[in-house]
Amino acid sequence: MKLQGKFALFNALSKIAFVLLFLLMMPFVLERINIINTDNDLIDKRERVIDLISEFGVEPFIGVQENSFGSYNILKEEYISLELVELDEYWNFIEVTTRLVEDEIIDYRVLNYSFYVDDEMYLLEIGKSLSSIRQTEINIRWIALILLLVFVAVTLILDISYIKILFKPLEQIIQLKINKVNDPELFDFQNIKTTTEDFRTLDLTINNMMKRIQVLFKKEREFTSNVSHELLTPVSILQSKLENLLNDPTISGEAQVKISDSLRTLGRLKGIVNSLLLIARIENEQYLKKEDVDIAELISEVAGELRDQFDAANILLETSLPGNSIYSKANRSLLYTMFMNLYGNALKYTNREGVVKTGYFMKNERLVIEIHNTGEGIDPKHLTEIFSRFKKFSSENIESHGLGLAIAKSIADFHGISLSASSEKCRGTSFTLHF
Amino acid sequence: MNVLIIEDEKSLAREIQTYLAREHYLCELAFTGRDASEKIAVNLYDFILLDLGLPDYEGLDLITEAKKINHQAAFIIITARGAVEDKIKGLDLGADDYLAKPFALPELVSRMNAIARRKFGVSTNIVEIGDFQVNIHARKVLCREKEVVLTKKEFDLFQYLILNKDKVLARTQLHEHIWGNELDDSYDSNFIDVHMKNLRKKLIGHAPVHWLETVRGVGYRINS
Repeated sequence: MKLQGKFALFNALSKIAFVLLFLLMMPFVLERINIINTDNDLIDKRERVIDLISEFGVEPFIGVQENSFGSYNILKEEYISLELVELDEYWNFIEVTTRLVEDEIIDYRVLNYSFYVDDEMYLLEIGKSLSSIRQTEINIRWIALILLLVFVAVTLILDISYIKILFKPLEQIIQLKINKVNDPELFDFQNIKTTTEDFRTLDLTINNMMKRIQVLFKKEREFTSNVSHELLTPVSILQSKLENLLNDPTISGEAQVKISDSLRTLGRLKGIVNSLLLIARIENEQYLKKEDVDIAELISEVAGELRDQFDAANILLETSLPGNSIYSKANRSLLYTMFMNLYGNALKYTNREGVVKTGYFMKNERLVIEIHNTGEGIDPKHLTEIFSRFKKFSSENIESHGLGLAIAKSIADFHGISLSASSEKCRGTSFTLHF
Repeated sequence: MNVLIIEDEKSLAREIQTYLAREHYLCELAFTGRDASEKIAVNLYDFILLDLGLPDYEGLDLITEAKKINHQAAFIIITARGAVEDKIKGLDLGADDYLAKPFALPELVSRMNAIARRKFGVSTNIVEIGDFQVNIHARKVLCREKEVVLTKKEFDLFQYLILNKDKVLARTQLHEHIWGNELDDSYDSNFIDVHMKNLRKKLIGHAPVHWLETVRGVGYRINS
């Protein structure tokens, strides 16, 4: 999960938790508030009634013959009663009681208040029905719930958009920089725009790191290139001297054999130097990719070139190739070298009377070529290393410098062709090229 | 034929001279571009072997200079730079061939031979050896008017040996001529022997080939 996703999730969850907590607590809180409010209201009404009584006496409420007065509003939500009573003490309290009003049992919150007027004790009751109190409570609860939900939704949207903006530089650093660290040559050193100090530091650090890597890569390649190049001249001189010596009429047959052996050894040295130089040049992008290459035709050419050697080793070389296989923006001679090395490798590691098969198929409209050879196969633990320079895993003592597959790989990489190998013990090895 | 070898590595220049002298080429040496430039202006050469890596001169300029004064020499560019652009540029300027260092001297000789036939009409395209006529241009071998059918590789080997006749060619040299430096090779391979065996078999089917000598532990030689 992405960091910003986690942030958004945490925000949402914490808000929802708060809202739930609030909703759980709300009934109690609201009830308390409501009761206090109702009680205050009742006390307020009592004061007003007492004021009226002290100004006009009880007569306006209670007639001379009667000894009580009661008044309800239409829906019986409130009532006021005034009664002549005889009590042992003053009453002044609020309680919840049930009253029968016109055949209806209703719960009321009632304020009882007793007082004397002209030596007579009166009891004032002011009541408010509990259902009306609850109704208010429910209304408030609904309003609160809706408001809270709206609040949560709005803040979440704001949070997510803000987090998105906040994390955009990090997203860019990951997409434009970190995902491309394997290609130091193509690395974009443009600074990511951000006001966040942390991201700026991260960006700068990655840039500096890549710069150092680039310099090192360049140095390494230059070194390989220079060394190889410098080696070619002395090799050239040695070779010419040996070639002249080989045809010197004064030397013995024995010496001739030794010279020929030296020439062979020199040939190996030349092969290594040339191969390293080739890889260095490919990695330095010193070749052009401008040609349209017919892969089928190219493979046929390579196969034709090597057929004699396959025949001599008693290895069957089978190629089935697509009709139309033009690969554009390529370097033909490099691709030729690549196939030459792949088939050369197959030739070397195929068992006698074995088979080297070439097949193809289309995957996502891209050509895939598979070169399979029978033989003892490659140990899976060596499979990742076979494209490294100077690696040889055959038990047989074959005189080769082990650069063939490294060359093939660097040419494939140069063209953006993915080259991979798979192998089964005793069944052989496959090289797959995704164009 | 006169050859000018322009090469700042004196030792290499002398080796080339020695080898070519045996092939009856008259060689002059120039170790610097300036020296070469003067020699080209004064003397007539059939071949100019030009090393591009001269310390004092842009090698390719020498071709331009020579063309300017209508010098008829065939240019063979020799370079360790091996960059494709150099090759294309050189051939564009009118060089006749291109060899990357390190190259085999027999290879140089066979290239010069091919150029000589093509450019100067020296002798014909047909080389005779024993009862065989080898048409280098048409890549055909005839024996008493009957064609000897050879594979591409067999013909390449045969031609290489003929163009370097009286010289021992080591297996390594033959291998390199046929397959170039393209392959990460086992130089031990007996592929050359297999091809030579087949070639000999085919030739013997038509006429004796006592002139085709196997040099034990080294390679092969055609004796004139």
